[in-house]
Amino acid sequence: MQTIRLTICMGLCVLLLAAGCGRQQQESHPLPASLTLAVGGENPEGYDPTLGWGSYGNPLFHSTLLRRDADLNIVPDLAATWHLATDRLTWTVTIRPDVVFADGSPLTARDVAYTFNTAAVAGGVLDLANLEKAEALNDITVQLRLKQPDITFIHYLITLGIVPERLHGPGYGRRPVGSGPYKLVRWDEGQQMVVEANPYYYGVQPAIKRLIFLFAGEDAALAAARAGKIDVLSVPSSLATREIPGMKLHVVKSVDNRGLMFPCVPDTGDKTPHGLVVGNDVTADVAIRRAVNFAINRQALVDGVLNGFGRPAFGPVDDLPWDNQAIRFKDNDAEKAGIILTQAGWLDVDGDGVREKDGIKAEFTIVYNATDSLRQGLALAVADMLRPVGIRAMPRGENWDRIKNELVHSTVVVFGFGGHSPLEMYKLFHSPGPEPSYWNGGFYTNGVVDGYLDQARAASSFADAIPLWQKAQWDGQTGFAVAGDAPWAWLVNLDHTYYINQCLDVGRSQMEPHGHGWPITANINEWQWTCE
Amino acid sequence: MHLNLTKFLLAKTMRLVLLVAGVATLSFVLVSHSPIDPVDAYVGAAIMKISPEQRQVIIARWGLDRPPLTRFARWAAQLARGDLGVSTIFNEPVTSVIAKRFVTSLWLMALAWSFSGLLGFVLGLIAGAREDSPADRLIRLYAYTMAATPTFWVGMMLLMIFSVYLGWTPVCSAWPPGLSIEQATLGQRLHHLLLPAVTLSLIGVAQITLHTRQKTVEAMHSDYAIFARAQGESTVGIVCRQVLRNVALPALTLQFASLGELFGGAVLAEQVFSYPGLGRATVEAGIRGDVPLLLGIVLFSTVFVFTGNTLADLLYQVVDPRMREGQGGTA
Repeated sequence: MQTIRLTICMGLCVLLLAAGCGRQQQESHPLPASLTLAVGGENPEGYDPTLGWGSYGNPLFHSTLLRRDADLNIVPDLAATWHLATDRLTWTVTIRPDVVFADGSPLTARDVAYTFNTAAVAGGVLDLANLEKAEALNDITVQLRLKQPDITFIHYLITLGIVPERLHGPGYGRRPVGSGPYKLVRWDEGQQMVVEANPYYYGVQPAIKRLIFLFAGEDAALAAARAGKIDVLSVPSSLATREIPGMKLHVVKSVDNRGLMFPCVPDTGDKTPHGLVVGNDVTADVAIRRAVNFAINRQALVDGVLNGFGRPAFGPVDDLPWDNQAIRFKDNDAEKAGIILTQAGWLDVDGDGVREKDGIKAEFTIVYNATDSLRQGLALAVADMLRPVGIRAMPRGENWDRIKNELVHSTVVVFGFGGHSPLEMYKLFHSPGPEPSYWNGGFYTNGVVDGYLDQARAASSFADAIPLWQKAQWDGQTGFAVAGDAPWAWLVNLDHTYYINQCLDVGRSQMEPHGHGWPITANINEWQWTCE
Repeated sequence: MHLNLTKFLLAKTMRLVLLVAGVATLSFVLVSHSPIDPVDAYVGAAIMKISPEQRQVIIARWGLDRPPLTRFARWAAQLARGDLGVSTIFNEPVTSVIAKRFVTSLWLMALAWSFSGLLGFVLGLIAGAREDSPADRLIRLYAYTMAATPTFWVGMMLLMIFSVYLGWTPVCSAWPPGLSIEQATLGQRLHHLLLPAVTLSLIGVAQITLHTRQKTVEAMHSDYAIFARAQGESTVGIVCRQVLRNVALPALTLQFASLGELFGGAVLAEQVFSYPGLGRATVEAGIRGDVPLLLGIVLFSTVFVFTGNTLADLLYQVVDPRMREGQGGTA
């Protein structure tokens, strides 16, 4: 039943695309009273930053102490100065004295302290467990004390929107008041949200004064865009090849990546405390993992599976400030893959096209989330690319629950990651705990890498940490890059694709992270209407 | 009569309490065995940013750290006080989530229900009165086809024809984007409601038509109908004076019993038309493991359908003089 509905849904999508009901306006295009955006779903639990609103994307109604500019440099927003003490445990932040919330009340350091303290215990999707206490020293100075040194904590200074202590409480998420560029006018749940420029905003006033966020399904939104009702529409890359009258395609690079995670330890019968089987005898051999990396033709994956909307991925943090450019390599090299395998003793003795070593065949299952056609496409294409080098990969669709509760430590899994914080890299490659779940589910361990990662996290500034993050990838001797232990085969970085009104200039978009939220609105106060 | 009504209502209330208790227990057992991990579903893409400690904080916030039996006891105790708890995905009391969405769904269901009831009844009468005529065959063909057609498919077809090709009806939402509910005119709201309501009605018509037809055929062959005909009464006269009253009762039962199906159909229709009603909230609650909301909706629909059936029982007494007489006799 579910499958039938899905199939029909997809069929409908295509038909909607094919059907052009041209009702778009012509000639002069003055700035309309409001822009309509269909850029993804709503946040059903509301717009409360202390529960995680804005943690991937931009809080819109709220402002943050710091922010990242289009090049992902850390720049001040609410903060005037910020400083980490030499004990690396205490952040002292002074805020701009002139900031008021959308209701006109002043934003003080007490609101900042309240926001951080509340978020730490609120039980949302923000993890501030490392925060000891936030304290306002006076109206404009706030001190954030950590339990352990951790430079990645700066990510919360960048993403946590400040809420007014006076107005915050149960139900705040449904009537958020913040100090961001826009304020919420109305939210009809499941349907739409109307926001207007916040006249009290201390930054550059946005040129677009009123926005309507439409929460419709993908196909319904597409049909509405065809009818000329939508100005900004996000679409999956599979649908980004069509023409929509009056709209132009806007492609944003992202670190939203996909890759294969290998179990890096042999199957010795070990199980996690929850009873998950750990290890895989084939992928435990670094030769297999490296051969897979070299054999894959990443550009072909981008062209074939992503319709060209993406770029090859060589690591988990491609093109981010903490990316190590030295880890790039020449892929689509079946010859090199063959040599690696032969040298390691993987030979096709029985002539069936699959290599063996010590009686074990070079074969493994690649599991992917069965509802995700993109991951399915990648798994199938990779299996085809590995066949000529004598590795048999068997793609299999599963649901996340089964992957998480049974398969994650013993089979190759197609995962997607990519965030604006290097913390993710730490969690993917640092030696795992006994029950890692998705964090380093392959049980990859390298003492040297652990050392760099720990040092990076404990660094005294974000800039000082960057060389250490890079060394963890590859320090010339070892690392988690392919030249080193190759615990992953990263495949592609997706592009996020939008159709936008021809008259709208959305400026230069920031490289977007994996996940939900509305990252395209990050620079919304730079958007301009270009038609007369 | 008064005493009787009180007795009747008391008995019904007792039954409702037992029913709710049964449904609540069963639903709780079912959802607590659901393979969905609500924390995973809630965290979604942020999974990499959440440490095991933070997981515990979320679990504690929702009270999932307690054993199922304790959770059920606490939930039942709250329920007895009329508190359905807080929805995990909406972070809002379950009652207010349901109230908000039910208002939108109510419009849809009321329209579809009355339309399918009336149309179905009339079609059934026509078909039954003229058994085996071309009209009867046409109506039966339509009814059988619709009875065998899934709601979502009809919805898709209508959406494609009327919204996409012809552009007559809107593709989504309950009123035009950008307007508030107060700004939207009644016409605009009906315009947005039209297609989902028609979808539900087209399907709902089938059952009531077929049942009414069957009962009409029986009534047309009854002694009293034949006697009336022998006296020179026309078919229309027989239908109006003899058959209608006899057929109304089963039709009424069926129509009120169909409230449950209407609820189910609305879930699908709302999914197809991006119509923000209770149906979509149900789907969300199910796939994201929001136990309080799901149980709340289950209980709500139980009470809703039960009330519908009770209303039908009460209406019998109004419609059927025999029942009134019988009741009066025992008083």
